[in-house]
Amino acid sequence: MTDARPLLTIEDMRIHYDSVRGAYKVVDGVDVEVHRNEIFGLAGESGCGKSTLVEGILRLIEPPGHIHSGTALFRPFPEDPERSLDLVQLDYHEMREIRWKHLSYIPQGSMNSLNPVMRIRDQMTDVVMHHEPGGQNEINRNIAAALEMVGLPESLGALYPHELSGGMKQRVCIAMSMLLQPALVVADEPTTALDVNVQRAVLETIAHLRDQMGAAVIFVSHDLAVHAELVDRMAIMYAGVVMELGTVYEIFDNPQHPYTKRLIHSIPALGGPRERLESIPGMAPSPLAWPEGCRFHPRCPDAVPACSSATPRTIELDTGRKVTCHLFDPDIDLEQGSA
Amino acid sequence: MKPLVSYVITRALMFLLSIWGAFTLAFFFFHLIPGDPVSAYLQQLEQQFSQTVDAADAAAMAAEMKARLGIDGSLPEQYWRFLGNVFIRFDLGPSFINFPKPALEHILEKLPWTLWLLGTSTIISWILGFVVGGIIGTFRNNFASQFLINFSLVISQIPSYFTALFALFLFGYWFVLLPTKGAYDPSIEKDLLNPRFLLSVARYAIMPAMAVVMVGVAGTLISTRSLVTTILGDDYLQFAHAKGLRRSHILMRYVLRNAMLPQITGLALSLGFVLNGFYLVEIIFNYPGMGSLFLSAIRLLDYNLILGIVLMSITVVLAATFIIDLLLPLIDPRIKLSD
Amino acid sequence: MFVVDAWKRSGYFRVGGIMLAVLLAIAVLQPWLSQLALQNPDVSPMSMGTFEPYADPSLRHPAGTDKLGRDMLALLFLGIRVSMLIALIAGCTATGIGISLGFIAGYKGGWVDAVLRTGTDMVLVIPSLPLLIALAAYLPTISIPVMSLLLAAFAWPFTTRIIRSQVLTLKQRPFVDLARTSDQGDMSIIFLEILPNLLPFLGVSVAVGMSSAMLAEIGLQLIGLGPASINTLGLMVQQSVQSGVLAIGKWWILFAPVSCLIAFFVALNLINIGLESAFNPRLRSVTGD
Repeated sequence: MTDARPLLTIEDMRIHYDSVRGAYKVVDGVDVEVHRNEIFGLAGESGCGKSTLVEGILRLIEPPGHIHSGTALFRPFPEDPERSLDLVQLDYHEMREIRWKHLSYIPQGSMNSLNPVMRIRDQMTDVVMHHEPGGQNEINRNIAAALEMVGLPESLGALYPHELSGGMKQRVCIAMSMLLQPALVVADEPTTALDVNVQRAVLETIAHLRDQMGAAVIFVSHDLAVHAELVDRMAIMYAGVVMELGTVYEIFDNPQHPYTKRLIHSIPALGGPRERLESIPGMAPSPLAWPEGCRFHPRCPDAVPACSSATPRTIELDTGRKVTCHLFDPDIDLEQGSA
Repeated sequence: MKPLVSYVITRALMFLLSIWGAFTLAFFFFHLIPGDPVSAYLQQLEQQFSQTVDAADAAAMAAEMKARLGIDGSLPEQYWRFLGNVFIRFDLGPSFINFPKPALEHILEKLPWTLWLLGTSTIISWILGFVVGGIIGTFRNNFASQFLINFSLVISQIPSYFTALFALFLFGYWFVLLPTKGAYDPSIEKDLLNPRFLLSVARYAIMPAMAVVMVGVAGTLISTRSLVTTILGDDYLQFAHAKGLRRSHILMRYVLRNAMLPQITGLALSLGFVLNGFYLVEIIFNYPGMGSLFLSAIRLLDYNLILGIVLMSITVVLAATFIIDLLLPLIDPRIKLSD
Repeated sequence: MFVVDAWKRSGYFRVGGIMLAVLLAIAVLQPWLSQLALQNPDVSPMSMGTFEPYADPSLRHPAGTDKLGRDMLALLFLGIRVSMLIALIAGCTATGIGISLGFIAGYKGGWVDAVLRTGTDMVLVIPSLPLLIALAAYLPTISIPVMSLLLAAFAWPFTTRIIRSQVLTLKQRPFVDLARTSDQGDMSIIFLEILPNLLPFLGVSVAVGMSSAMLAEIGLQLIGLGPASINTLGLMVQQSVQSGVLAIGKWWILFAPVSCLIAFFVALNLINIGLESAFNPRLRSVTGD
């Protein structure tokens, strides 16, 4: 390991949405690290806060939402890996400088993420001109190269968004995200609205980006199959916190947290005997009032008395392998809930 | 360019058909109003010159006049004759006002005043409404914006002749700043090259224009604000922020540009309705435009002049829609030529 | 009931509703209120020379008196009643016409729709005020119902348009398909399945119809072609303009009916905005309500 410092270190991130009934604690204390040149997956049911977490890093949270506390140390400069910027603390102009040049984004609703009244090429030029102004010819060459990399012809630049299919729009967004060769790309559910064939193409394109351009990717999806296929390491989120974290092999081959186990078992295994799939009983809790103790305990089959009284600590099982559950905490009295 | 040709031809045919239909409705409407304008006119002449004409002569005169006005014979006969005269020879026939001065001449004398006063105020109110609406739509959570939008909701409901009365009272009688009647200072030589004349034309237009602008601005402001509010919630706007574009650039190229296209349609329509909407403002200020002319025509039941003015209004409205239909596919990439 | 929903959901609706309720109460209680202002059971608010002309506002005449020596407050109450009545009849009639045509056009579709739509569009482009002026000028007598119907004749195209588009979308909805496949008749589909969903739009339509009828009525009066026998707020405006109250500084004589009319328009518009924001989620962002 020549470069031990992670690209992005998120610590105790909390993102709240204010309402008359109180604060919705959508993201409520998340710690994760993203290393250089890796694809990091964020998984979990809808409403678990995974999209909000990345929107927070991108600073796209709109009122009444706000980042309550936490740090996100970002080290995008390869020549000076020690230099870090706290994405939470940057002011609007500093953030604007970082955006796209070092930290780009493949949006969730890429169907509607392109300006309907601008040609594709103009929208791409827009980005370049705002960050690395240069000659029109050079910009055009870069745009052509970026489009080619996602498998789209250069001539597509002259079209308007409504003239493209959903998959093409998604790939335009990916091409756009790579234009300035950023250190980190955040892909928020990039495959959700697409049909299976196009999904595959998009996933390959994203993997390709990492291999060819050396970018790290944070990949958000509720679809575990997609994670299994694409990511290196992943975090399982539930109710605004990370339940389990590890490499994709560790998570799928040897899930530890009761929630992860249920989640993995809710997808069918190919080729195995046809079994009745287990679904997780109960409803996802409300971010207005998370359950006391462990947030999963009302739905957890393995719950012990401690789960409803004490908030579980995050336990490191191996290097980089973490789980947030009392069952793995050697110091806790499972019946009493006190350490 | 086959589809373009057929599109234009269909629209043009619809345009002519609508003019014809609306004109026919108006023709029969006015001719079915009970009243004998010719005898009323002759009686008025008798009184004016204190002469009595015997019944036979009067009947002969009436017949002669009816023939010259084109209101002799059965109603369908009159209709086809009038239709032919208007659409083939652009001849509306004579008017009662300064008989036999052609009705068309009356209209052409008054039309420039109305176009100048109402055309200018409509354009001014559109521009003001669009800019202010765009701004308060973008920054909608502060007190000034909240105040402006609620103020506009009230103002937009006040008929323009009330604002006219208000302006009249305030600037005409209270502060005595502006002239209250007419379109220019009659003591100045009427010459378009005379700067003093032009200055007085502008001065006399201020108050009536203000009345129209106040109400017009409020309307455009409300609709622009709601458009902008919708656009701000669109995915492509969040994406634009994520791209790290400058705020001013996002406001101009992403927000206002998308809001502008539907509003251009609104502008064209209100320009089309210029001849319909503001008769009363003209009447209140004794402005020598189409409104005052129409009122005189109605008082005399001057068919030719009435129908001429109505036809003019209909044509202008329909022409505005026709032009929008032709131009919109050119300026808005989202609209295709299919209907 | 949609009114209750709108009341709960929209502050605009609440403000507009209260304003309209006050005006409505004045209209209903007018005979009594006017008597209270006149303090003489033998005179009507419209009879001339009852008091000193052009009296300034005082305790006895809170809104002063006009040129003809009539108590402005008593007259104002009467004006509110008459204007409200005309607007209400016109608004309901226009809505009735509009909803029938809109329903037929939207539900039948095809050539019926094409004909009705073209007709509606043609009526929309003909300038309505001139037509009204002409009608008013040549009708021998105009009573309150005639006036209302005249105004309604030009206020219906708006309703026709919104009802047509609503019926078109509702027709596509699954519950209507379900009713059709379960062999319900046209009438029962219209009245049981579609109409209940249109109630908020009918509210909007009545409010818009009332506004535009009032607007047109003032227009007629201002030109001096309205009937002088019906004491509407519009007539009061016209009479005060005619007698030049602004030039002699008695602005409150004009101010009183004008502010009542503006209150009317604003109340109706707030109710509209409230209904739309409560029942058309896409429009909710319009007002940020």
